[in-house]
Amino acid sequence: MLKGVSLLFLLLVSLTAQAETWPGEQWSTTPTPGGPALQALEAYAFPPRDDVSRKGVRTDALLVIRDGRLIYERYASPTTVDTPHLTWSISKSLIATVLGVAYAEGRFKLEDPAAKFYPPLAGHPKLTLSDLLHWASGLDWQEDYEYAPLKSSVVAMLYTRGHQDMARFTAEHDEYAPPGQAFRYSSGDSNLLAAALKTIVGPARYADYPWTALFEPLGIRHAVWETDATGTFVASSYAYLTARDLARVGLLMARDGRWGDRQLLPADWVAFNRQPFARYQSHQDEAVPGGHWWLNRDADGAARPWPDAPPDTFAALGHWGQAMYVIPSERLVIVRYGDDRDGSYRHNELLKRVRQAFAGTVQP
Amino acid sequence: MKRRHFVRRRPFTALGAFLLIALLGWIWQERVALWAFPDIISAYTAKEYCSCRYVMNNDAQYCRGYVKQWLPVSGFTDDSAAKRVSVEGLGRSNSAQWLGERQGCRLNP
Repeated sequence: MLKGVSLLFLLLVSLTAQAETWPGEQWSTTPTPGGPALQALEAYAFPPRDDVSRKGVRTDALLVIRDGRLIYERYASPTTVDTPHLTWSISKSLIATVLGVAYAEGRFKLEDPAAKFYPPLAGHPKLTLSDLLHWASGLDWQEDYEYAPLKSSVVAMLYTRGHQDMARFTAEHDEYAPPGQAFRYSSGDSNLLAAALKTIVGPARYADYPWTALFEPLGIRHAVWETDATGTFVASSYAYLTARDLARVGLLMARDGRWGDRQLLPADWVAFNRQPFARYQSHQDEAVPGGHWWLNRDADGAARPWPDAPPDTFAALGHWGQAMYVIPSERLVIVRYGDDRDGSYRHNELLKRVRQAFAGTVQP
Repeated sequence: MKRRHFVRRRPFTALGAFLLIALLGWIWQERVALWAFPDIISAYTAKEYCSCRYVMNNDAQYCRGYVKQWLPVSGFTDDSAAKRVSVEGLGRSNSAQWLGERQGCRLNP
C-alpha cells in the first residue's frame, strides 16, 4: 500500500516536472502577442535615444520570460543578445544567491558572526551575516555615487582609497549604530559578504565558486565577475551577464530555488531573501529590503513601492536602471538593462506595461 | 583708556581669520579624502572604459561616450593589443587592465 502511494507520488511529481518548461542550452520561445499593450510597453521602454544629451529612458535590453519560456526580447544598440551587460548592484543579489548554495552545503548559519569568516571585522563581534544581507551592518557608510563624490564611500571604494581591498576598506569604517538595528544601503556590506565567502567555501574553491555553484548548474556560459586586487569578488557592482543568462537566475528564484529536479537553494534561504527586514522604515529606499533582494511589500505603514505590480514581486536592482523583476504569482521574470543617466525611469511604469502586455493567464 | 576688542576693531579681518582657520581645520580633517579626490576621474574612466570595451565588447567610440563625465580627461590611451587603458585627469594618472574571460578588468594599483 505504502509502496503504491509513493509510486503514485513519484508519478505525480514527474508529471508536474514535465509540465514545467526549463531552458536548455537555449530558452524555449513562445510567440510574442502583438497589439496596443505591446506598443505601449515599447513606447515607454524604447523612446528615440539621444546619446548626446543622454536624457530620458534609455533601455539597452528588455526580456520577458513567462512560464519558463522566452516570450519577448528587444535590444538597443550597441547591446545585443550576446552582450554580457554590466549589472551594477544586481551583483548584490547574485552574491546572495551564490551564498545560498554555500548555505545549502551547510557551511554557515545566518546568525554566524561575520568576523568568524572575515577576521578584519573582529572589532564588530556582534555583526552577523544576516545583518550584512539586510544592509544593516551599522557601519558609517555613505553610498551616494555622483552627488557627494568627496564623502562617497562607494566612489572611494571602487576607484581610489579602497579599490585594492574593498572589504578591508569597508571594515575600517566606524560604527554609527549597533549591528542589525538600522537599514542603511551599503555596497560595503555586500563586499564584506564576498570576503566572508572566501573563508566559507575555502580559498581553493573561491575563485571558481560562482561558476561551479551557480552559473554552470543554470547553464550560464558567459558570466564575468571582476575582483579587487586581493581576488575578492566585487559583489557590490561588477558582475556581467547577458540578459538571457540573468533571466535564468530569475527563473531559479521564481521557482523557490529549484532548477529542474535539483533544489539548488534551500526553501528557507529563498524565504529569507523575500522576508522584509523588520527594522526598515518606510521611504528609506526605493523598495523594501529583504535578504539582499528588493521587495514590493507594504512595510512600516507605507504602500507598496510598485502599486501596479503584485505584492509578491521582488527584484534585483542596479545603478543606471539595471533591473530584474520576478513575479512568481504570474510566472514572470523580467530583465531590463539600461543606461539611464537622469533617473526618469520608473520601475512601476515598466512593470505595469509588461503585465498589460504579457501577464495573461493563457498556458502554453 | 579702554582697549577695544580685536573683533570689534577689525571685524572683517577677524571673520576672515576665523573662516581660514575653519577651512584649514576642514582640510586637515578631510585630508585623506581630499588627496584621493583627483584620482576619481582618471580611475573611473580607465576602469569603466576597459570593461565597456573588453568585457561588454562594445566599440571604442561608444565606450568613450559611455564614460564621459563633466570633468575633462587628457592623455587617453587604449592599447587594444594588451587590453590596457590609461587615462590622465586632474594631474593624476590611472590605468586598468583586462585580465581574462572570467576576471574582466581591474584598476591597476
